Amino acid sequence: MTTTLLSLFAVFLFFLVIFYIAKTIELSSIAKNGLKNDYVKSTKVNAYLAMFFYIVGMIILVMTTISLAPRMLPESASVHGVEMDKMFDVTLWVTGLAFLLTQTLLFFFVYFYRYNEDRKAYFFPHSNLLEMIWTIVPAVVLVALVFKGIGVWHNVFDFQQLDGKDPIVFEVTGKQFAWVLRYPGADGKLGPREITHENINEFNAKYSLPNELGIVWTDKASQDDIYPNDIYLVKDRPVLVKLGALDVIHSFYLPHFRVKMDCVPGMPTQFMFTPMYTTEEFKERLKNKKFWKNIDPKTGEPRWKGFKFELACAELCGKSHFGMQKNVVVVEQEEYDAWLAKQKPFYKTVVKKAMDRVDNQ
Amino acid sequence: MSTDLTHGHDDHGHHHEDTWLTKYIFSQDHKMIAKQFLITGIIWAFIGGLLSLFFRMQLAWPNETFPILETLLGKWAEGGQISNDFYYSLVTMHGTILVFFVLTAGLSGTFSNLLIPLQIGARDMASPLMNMLSYWFFFAAGVVMFSSFFVQTGPASGGWTAYPPLNGIRDISINIGSGLGFDLWIASMSLFIVSSLLGGLNYVATIINLRTKGMTMTRLPLLIWALLFTAVLGILSFPALLSAAVLLEFDRILDTSFFLNNIVIGGDLLAYKGGSPVLFQHLFWFLGHPEVYIIIFPAMGIVSEILSVNAKKPIFGYKAMIMSIGSITVVGFFVWAHHMFVSGMNPNLGIVFIIFTLLIAIPSSIKVFNWLTTLWRGNLKLTPPMMFAIGFISFFIFGGITGIFLGNAPVDLPLHDTYFVVAHFHVVMGVSAFFGMWAGVYHWFPKMYGRFMNDTLAYIHFWGSLIGGYLVFVPMHFLTGVPRRYYSFEQFTTFDIFQDVNVIITLGAFLVFATQIVFLINFFYSIFKGRKMTSDNLNPWGANTLEWTTPVERIHGNWSGDIPQVYRWPYDYSVNGNEINPQTKPLEEGEEEH
Repeated sequence: MTTTLLSLFAVFLFFLVIFYIAKTIELSSIAKNGLKNDYVKSTKVNAYLAMFFYIVGMIILVMTTISLAPRMLPESASVHGVEMDKMFDVTLWVTGLAFLLTQTLLFFFVYFYRYNEDRKAYFFPHSNLLEMIWTIVPAVVLVALVFKGIGVWHNVFDFQQLDGKDPIVFEVTGKQFAWVLRYPGADGKLGPREITHENINEFNAKYSLPNELGIVWTDKASQDDIYPNDIYLVKDRPVLVKLGALDVIHSFYLPHFRVKMDCVPGMPTQFMFTPMYTTEEFKERLKNKKFWKNIDPKTGEPRWKGFKFELACAELCGKSHFGMQKNVVVVEQEEYDAWLAKQKPFYKTVVKKAMDRVDNQ
Repeated sequence: MSTDLTHGHDDHGHHHEDTWLTKYIFSQDHKMIAKQFLITGIIWAFIGGLLSLFFRMQLAWPNETFPILETLLGKWAEGGQISNDFYYSLVTMHGTILVFFVLTAGLSGTFSNLLIPLQIGARDMASPLMNMLSYWFFFAAGVVMFSSFFVQTGPASGGWTAYPPLNGIRDISINIGSGLGFDLWIASMSLFIVSSLLGGLNYVATIINLRTKGMTMTRLPLLIWALLFTAVLGILSFPALLSAAVLLEFDRILDTSFFLNNIVIGGDLLAYKGGSPVLFQHLFWFLGHPEVYIIIFPAMGIVSEILSVNAKKPIFGYKAMIMSIGSITVVGFFVWAHHMFVSGMNPNLGIVFIIFTLLIAIPSSIKVFNWLTTLWRGNLKLTPPMMFAIGFISFFIFGGITGIFLGNAPVDLPLHDTYFVVAHFHVVMGVSAFFGMWAGVYHWFPKMYGRFMNDTLAYIHFWGSLIGGYLVFVPMHFLTGVPRRYYSFEQFTTFDIFQDVNVIITLGAFLVFATQIVFLINFFYSIFKGRKMTSDNLNPWGANTLEWTTPVERIHGNWSGDIPQVYRWPYDYSVNGNEINPQTKPLEEGEEEH
């Protein structure tokens, strides 16, 4: 308590001192020059400060970039993400150049054209040529970015690319605060869903077993579906993920794969992508990278060893929005098949028993 | 022109005696209403800023406890740590307060009211009564919003964007803030929209009809053009938000299904059928995007005036400036869905919004180059408002440039709803709009109070804010993949690697906040004890515009005699051998009007 009071008092004193210094400067200026301030002296001081800020600021900006850039998300682990990252880089170069140019002009003008009583400002109200230049140059650059962007965007959502590619099709449903994963069983087909009062509420009431997804359990295709804990994917095999949500909007976000799509209650969405590396391969790629070879203080091991692909929620969905984590594992086809074979259909382990119990009474 | 009407108002100069109540509280004088907007805005800025410190503390030190938080916040910070429920309330209210109460009402409300009549040469607004109502609706909105902090289930916590179904179902098991707190949020926003519409209609009517003799549209200061377009944007877009808010409340209390469909909660299907959550997003962003121009236009206008005055140079490309702000106004209505590239709307629709969004960057860059050219070969007096105007340009460049990333859908997709977005919009419409606002406050403080603010404190305020602003938002850009609105990152190995960066950002936020205390001290002290503006110093910055022709005493009706007549545009600086050529100065023999 005393420390709190003391520190509050110190803060108060700090502001008081600043205030009195400022007030004294003002009073002495009034005593010297009267109630008008011509700002000649402060112009000089602030022009020097501005130049100093520009130089030091640019140095710090470069240093920050060098130290933080290695920590940003690693290279894309999906095919379409590589294109997106390229677009990001191009945009960064173009805008970085514009940033450097305009900030430099700004601070140099402030410094070099600071008030000087011998100089007269140059009356220069407009110039069609100059204005044409800085309309056309940005326009050309932006049009180029637009064209490139539309091309990449179109490819990301061109689902016809999947024709004949045998994608892994699975379903992810967001709810507060978990992801429900559903993979097709041996038949390769996801069982049908019917979002009806009958199929959900009455089923729940009758069997004391929630059927939130509205699965039609009498359908054979539903009976071998599996509900795993982790997302398993196969390297180089396209994925089509069917997205939905039960209660509020969630967003299916795989940062390393540059995948993000909202899961909206009552409106199906989907996303497709192709993983390029298995998890183990990706770790190998990180092994010698700057930030990743450092020791992680939490585990005592190099960071790349603890690396994993993760699924996160990217749309505010309530108080535990920050906890909707799932692991994503990319493997080779054989390992995937082995994993799939180990999973037990939810129908057999839970649903059938609950239904039999009630139906046989 | 409408000069007969304005001159017919001359009796306003000898206004009937005001009582204390009609002078300071229910005033119909635009200058007093401006001050009311400003001071209310400052109070809200203080509250909104304080909220951000609370959640920044959580982000920087997620495992520490601060007993003082429990003392201040009670059950919302039990054990000295902000609860996750309250964390989401804090970010929601911070956003709502800053976007609407501070940077819309506080910025446009203050400067539209103060400067439209003074700069166009009018005795007051077209409807002083409507103007007064505009403030009092804003005040009522504030009271309702503030009261939501004290309801049992806490204030709204579903994000300032208020997306359903999170905010569309009145069930605190889904979201604790979606109880009474959110009803109050909707009520407050509805009152706020009424305020904004009353104000906006008044501003447009005044600018169109009450210009003094000779004040043609092409002789208007750029600030007035900016305020005109701001008002137009508000009038055309706020009704969309009002309709969205009302329909949302219907869903909440009348069980309609405008925005809800097939909701399953607790294992049961609810009765909502056929609505669309994405429709709400369209309506919201139909306001929400123009809203960022509503925020930034007044700042742009203020900066244009202040640069020109202090550089003693005409603003470069006056007509290009008007055209660019006008084209932003028009195109600004066709870019809203760039907030929704991954909302589940048809991806092909996204293509239209990529085109329009990047298109709108062209007029923005024209404005930047024109400001820079205004400085070129000027004779710059680096007064406090001038420094803030320069800071505005610096931040506007910074924030505008990151917009190019986010407007381009394939680049946006990985960045959407991450800290890159948070950094982008805070820089471009938070920090730069604030710099514009401060520039305006320092520049026109003598017009409001007949005194100056302390210059040394003003420079400290400037440098603290500039350094603090960059300190907060430069590092934040490097959290490119880290999702926003996360109470803690500990569940994710991918995101839990930025602890030290978050500490730096939070320290930056504290620096900015401390600097604002310097501003507050300066502002309130100077109202009563600041350096006096004297009658031989009526035009302290050496400006051409009309507001500096009024007397020191801020009389109702503005000019004691006739309203001055205008003969030229406001930017005749450093021409005809004179540093300034006020708008009231007739053209000289043989002089051509610009």
